[in-house]
Amino acid sequence: MFTPITFEVSDGGEIMERQVWAYRRENGSVGVRNYVLLIPVDDISNAIVESVEKNIAGTLALPHPYGRLQFGKDLELFFKTLIGMGSNPNVAAAVVVGIESKWTYKVADGIAKTRKPVEAFWVEGNGQLKTIEKVSRAAVKLVEDATNLRKEPVDISELVISLKCGESDTTSGLASNRVVGRFTEKFLDIGGTVLFGETTELTGAEHIVASRFKKEEDREKFMEMFNEYQELVKSQGVDLLGSQPTEGNIAGGLSTIEEKALGNIQKIGNAMIDGVLDFADRPPGKGLYFMNTSSAAAEAVTLFAAAGAVIHLFPTGQGNPIGNPIEPVVKITANPKTAEAMEEHIDVDISGILKGNLDIDSATDLLWKRVVETACGRFVRAEILNHKEFVLTKLYRSA
Amino acid sequence: MLGFLVHKDGDVVGVATTDLSKGSKVQGKTLKGDREYELTVMENIPLGHKIALRDIKKGEKIVEYGEIIGVATQDIPKGTHVHTHNIRSIRWG
Repeated sequence: MFTPITFEVSDGGEIMERQVWAYRRENGSVGVRNYVLLIPVDDISNAIVESVEKNIAGTLALPHPYGRLQFGKDLELFFKTLIGMGSNPNVAAAVVVGIESKWTYKVADGIAKTRKPVEAFWVEGNGQLKTIEKVSRAAVKLVEDATNLRKEPVDISELVISLKCGESDTTSGLASNRVVGRFTEKFLDIGGTVLFGETTELTGAEHIVASRFKKEEDREKFMEMFNEYQELVKSQGVDLLGSQPTEGNIAGGLSTIEEKALGNIQKIGNAMIDGVLDFADRPPGKGLYFMNTSSAAAEAVTLFAAAGAVIHLFPTGQGNPIGNPIEPVVKITANPKTAEAMEEHIDVDISGILKGNLDIDSATDLLWKRVVETACGRFVRAEILNHKEFVLTKLYRSA
Repeated sequence: MLGFLVHKDGDVVGVATTDLSKGSKVQGKTLKGDREYELTVMENIPLGHKIALRDIKKGEKIVEYGEIIGVATQDIPKGTHVHTHNIRSIRWG
């Protein structure tokens, strides 16, 4: 048996408000936003959904550059990601638009399993203008119905929350990631669900993550995913120096991947891990799950959103503006310079920890309060600043 | 004044919580608060960057978080800046 490796924690701090007002979807899942999502199956259908988004208020288009001639595992992940975005509880209804009917139905049918309203349209045999009209008419009705849904009180533990940090510096490991770690421990204690990932960015701290799995088989699965990435890097005949840590990390004082990784894993606190997920897999139950993801912010957050996460916690050191189209991304910084220079991007300023006038527990209470507010509808800065980064993870070249 | 924080007792580096100026005398403590430090800053060190808590020999492992974060590529005197110019990754060196 592995003995879990833990970090120093403070005790004390009270669990705050638990009730949030949110949307209960047809399949019982809970969402905190209420989008009518226009999903193109392929790059060439972007023009249609972007046109409808301009015509019909209350719709959100999800343009992307892929969907043609992908095959095998890469194609499977592509479908899983689009279906996952449409199925996310932050989405009230979806319209799927593709060049032809078969793949369009594949995505639409996948989303329909949630029993939420889904419509499918395709361009071949119709032309762009007729398709725009059909999608627009469908969207009118879907927006009317979505905006007629009422929020209801639910326990915050019903939310799925994801974690990923970015433009990290030493203030992340020292404070903001630790506050997220404390939040995670508390949220798991009351039965919440949390996803984390960043496979390569665990290099130097993978033994600590490995020591936290509740089940031996999950620990082995995690090490397999971890080693696969290390091999991939090696097979390219390069090292990741220059990419990991990034120039931003180095400017912020992080010197090595090991140091970055040790800071990174503070986000899960001392929690034990309930399972391992591959890219965009939905968690099978409540608890803490590791997901195999890239460490690139938009790619990882997109995979979490596709797995059903409804709020993302994003601690940042040097300041990364990232958002997601459907999952609000809450920015937390402990770097006083970033809190000032990039003020409009920061939702929770905990730089008081470095100044010595705020402790980890009080900072965790601030974050908890902001998560409750975000769940109840308060926009995060990334939403206000129009950040909608939707980045599909591509496993290899298309045919 | 508090100039740096140390993740864990036994670490050889601290993290500057404010810009540290050469020649100034600064205090530091562990996150748990179970150990306090006082040292003279030997060169300017920006907020978030690391300071050597003791003399570190070339080839010595650098410990932070109670874990190894790299190795010293040259002798690093106490109170000086610890970063990519004098330590490197062991994993992706």
